[in-house]
Amino acid sequence: MKINSLAKLGGVALVSVLILAGCGSKSSQSKKQEINWSTPAAISTMDTSKMIDLYSAQVANGTNEGLLRMAKDNKVDPGVAKSYNVSKDGLTWTFNLRHSKWNDGSAVTAKDFVFSWQRTVKPKTASQYAYIFANIKNAAKINAGKMSPSKLGVKAEGNYKFVVSLVKPQSYFKYMVTQPEFFPQNPKTVAKYGSGFGTNSTKNSYNGPFILKGWNGTNDTWKLVKNTKYWDAKKVKVDTVNFQAVKTPSTGLNSFNSNKLDYTTLSGTLAANNKKNKAYTVFPQASTSYLEFNQKKIKALRNVNIRKAMALSIDKKQMVNKVMQGGDIAPKGFVPASMAKHNGKDFASQAYVKDGTDYDLKEAKTLFAKGLKQEGKKSLSLSLLGSDDDDSKRASEFIQSQLEKLPGLKITVQSIPFKSKLTRSEDQQFDLVTSAWIADYPDPSNFLDLMTSSNSYNDGKWNNKQYDALIKKSESTDANNETARWNDMVAAEKILMNDQGIVPLYQQGQAALVRSSVKGVQAFTTSPQYDFSKAYVK
Amino acid sequence: MAKYLGKRIFYIILTLFIVTTITFFLMKLMPGTPLTNQAKLTPTQIHQIYKQYGLDKPVWQQYLVYLGGVIHGNFGTSFQFSNQPVSYLISSRLGPSLIIGGQGMVLGVLAGLIVGAVGAIKANTWVDTSATIISILFISIPSFVLAVLLQYYLGLKLRLFPIADWGGFMYTVLPTLALAASPLAETARFMRTEMVDVLSSDYIELAKAKGLNKVGIIYHHALRNSLIPVVTIIGPLAVNIMTGSMVVENIFSIPGIGEQFVKSILTNDYPTIMGLTIVYSAMLCVVLLITDIVYGLIDPRIRINK
Repeated sequence: MKINSLAKLGGVALVSVLILAGCGSKSSQSKKQEINWSTPAAISTMDTSKMIDLYSAQVANGTNEGLLRMAKDNKVDPGVAKSYNVSKDGLTWTFNLRHSKWNDGSAVTAKDFVFSWQRTVKPKTASQYAYIFANIKNAAKINAGKMSPSKLGVKAEGNYKFVVSLVKPQSYFKYMVTQPEFFPQNPKTVAKYGSGFGTNSTKNSYNGPFILKGWNGTNDTWKLVKNTKYWDAKKVKVDTVNFQAVKTPSTGLNSFNSNKLDYTTLSGTLAANNKKNKAYTVFPQASTSYLEFNQKKIKALRNVNIRKAMALSIDKKQMVNKVMQGGDIAPKGFVPASMAKHNGKDFASQAYVKDGTDYDLKEAKTLFAKGLKQEGKKSLSLSLLGSDDDDSKRASEFIQSQLEKLPGLKITVQSIPFKSKLTRSEDQQFDLVTSAWIADYPDPSNFLDLMTSSNSYNDGKWNNKQYDALIKKSESTDANNETARWNDMVAAEKILMNDQGIVPLYQQGQAALVRSSVKGVQAFTTSPQYDFSKAYVK
Repeated sequence: MAKYLGKRIFYIILTLFIVTTITFFLMKLMPGTPLTNQAKLTPTQIHQIYKQYGLDKPVWQQYLVYLGGVIHGNFGTSFQFSNQPVSYLISSRLGPSLIIGGQGMVLGVLAGLIVGAVGAIKANTWVDTSATIISILFISIPSFVLAVLLQYYLGLKLRLFPIADWGGFMYTVLPTLALAASPLAETARFMRTEMVDVLSSDYIELAKAKGLNKVGIIYHHALRNSLIPVVTIIGPLAVNIMTGSMVVENIFSIPGIGEQFVKSILTNDYPTIMGLTIVYSAMLCVVLLITDIVYGLIDPRIRINK
């Protein structure tokens, strides 16, 4: 009996100790919900009509919200629109808006979308992203100043129904409306601040998970603070995201190591030195670097054997691991990996053509000899155009050393400023050129459109009728059938790679250090790159 | 003096006008456009945007429009920071640059004078040798290397000062040290040479013979006379600091104008390039003016009395 009560007493004591311990550990575990993020550049503007850079878009994605919200695995989450439907012909998109509020308490209505989209498209705004509206009815004419902005193919049916009319079906329109250019704007705020709208954190209205604070228009630090008026505020766990523009990666690394930052980007040797760090992470980007052949100027480059030989002679794995050293990834094709998915399958894996991106020097030599013979040549001398920054120069020198392993091929490297390189590429003043493309939204057409014969950014003038036909089909007859469209695009990419219209060199990846206690930050291959609405600190 | 000042100010304005004109036309020769995503725009769209910014006009017209604006105190709005007036862009970021630049200059020159003077007084001893070694080191190490070393050792390892960012005196210490190194070394070398010369001159011998005490001789006779040539290098040193600050600001994440300048050139942000060029030229002109005035104060022979 006695023992029994003693045991009971002990039990109670033990339980209370456990509870107390639990309390203790609980209070130390519920960490301050604050994240310190770094970004390579300061905000350039918060006016979504004028936004042109990724880093401002990243902030806008935290402070504002469009019809839909970009989500993981190529999906979209509901945003201001709780649901949407597309007409059978794919030309009319109807969004049903929820009752949500701006941070000043006024309602976000369909009219705010109409206002914002018209404002971006009208010539007076001089938006550099107005082109992205081109598929909305009358947008091109309005932007050219030939029609009144009120004729734009968007309308508000009451306060909570927003209808968009497209020129041609566009299945990836759902991704486009997640981007800042398609966000609503509060007409009262725009009217109040005029040309000052969005030039600092107070001259703006917010309807997103966070509110921007402490940005005076030109400074390098600011914060996102939880927006209590956001419709889904109860799901937002983090209270503050402090941003700091860090322009030197070594500074970012030092700040990360002294716990001042929870995220910092790395490049070149800094990335290589930190690969074993537990915090090291690579974020793939929807961007491919590739080599273009000038088929208009150099006849020999019209020979597929010569193109294939050159592609096979470049060891892309060595290029990303030993030469570029940052977070770049060996390519799977022209369309980057982990960007677009359909039925759970990655586009790049489905359209993968082994010898389009492979390295096989022996085969390359055979093909090159064959090609030269077909062209009636003994040797070939080409120049390789690249820009003059360190990374590009290293890349050019590596490609030169690889290509010159082909007997009879002589390569001279020309490194010129990036902007001059762009002009010369467009004017076909090159033999070989290294180019790069970044997708605006996660759809393969973003890349594949480039290589159609009429596209002005098809610098090398590669052309293939079958390819053009497939792309056209994907935009017309198959535009409303997601699977058929997808298959058209897969087939097109396979043609491009089999014919070696270009040589994919590497897919860009962002190497970074991320503090392990920071969870739930969603990363995307396209803008806005990071989303903090589901982030928390553990 | 007033007449002299008036004349100098007139010349400063003339200089600024010439700098503005040359920079404007050179800038228009740079490759590229202010458009970030030009590759994705059609010629009509590009034309529309140019029209809004007045870039569709001939360059000489753009120049006149710009000049007219500047006379009225309007430096235009930045392309890169959409709708942000250039005057605000500069004024809101000028402070930190002036603070670290000014501190670096003052610290560098003062410390340089001391190191140089001590080296000369103790010429050809171990003190002199160490002073020379310090000077050579500080001249040879570029400020950005020194900045990274300071950041790593004093910031990260010893945690004495913040690694980067801006917000109070402590944040200015490391950038100031990084910027001060080169003026320190230059001044010290110059000062030592001058002072060694002066110390061996006849009037110093005379002063010694008269039985004046050593401190008095150095302070009243040697130091003041050695200072005159040293003042002449302040102009070039100021230029050094201005260019050095562009990199140092970047490394310490200082919200200054140095980084802004580089970025505006890279992005063809014409109004910002112009605004900052004018500000930098004006700062240099003012430094040179002050140098000349100080020159007169310490050397009666060239005092301006016209």
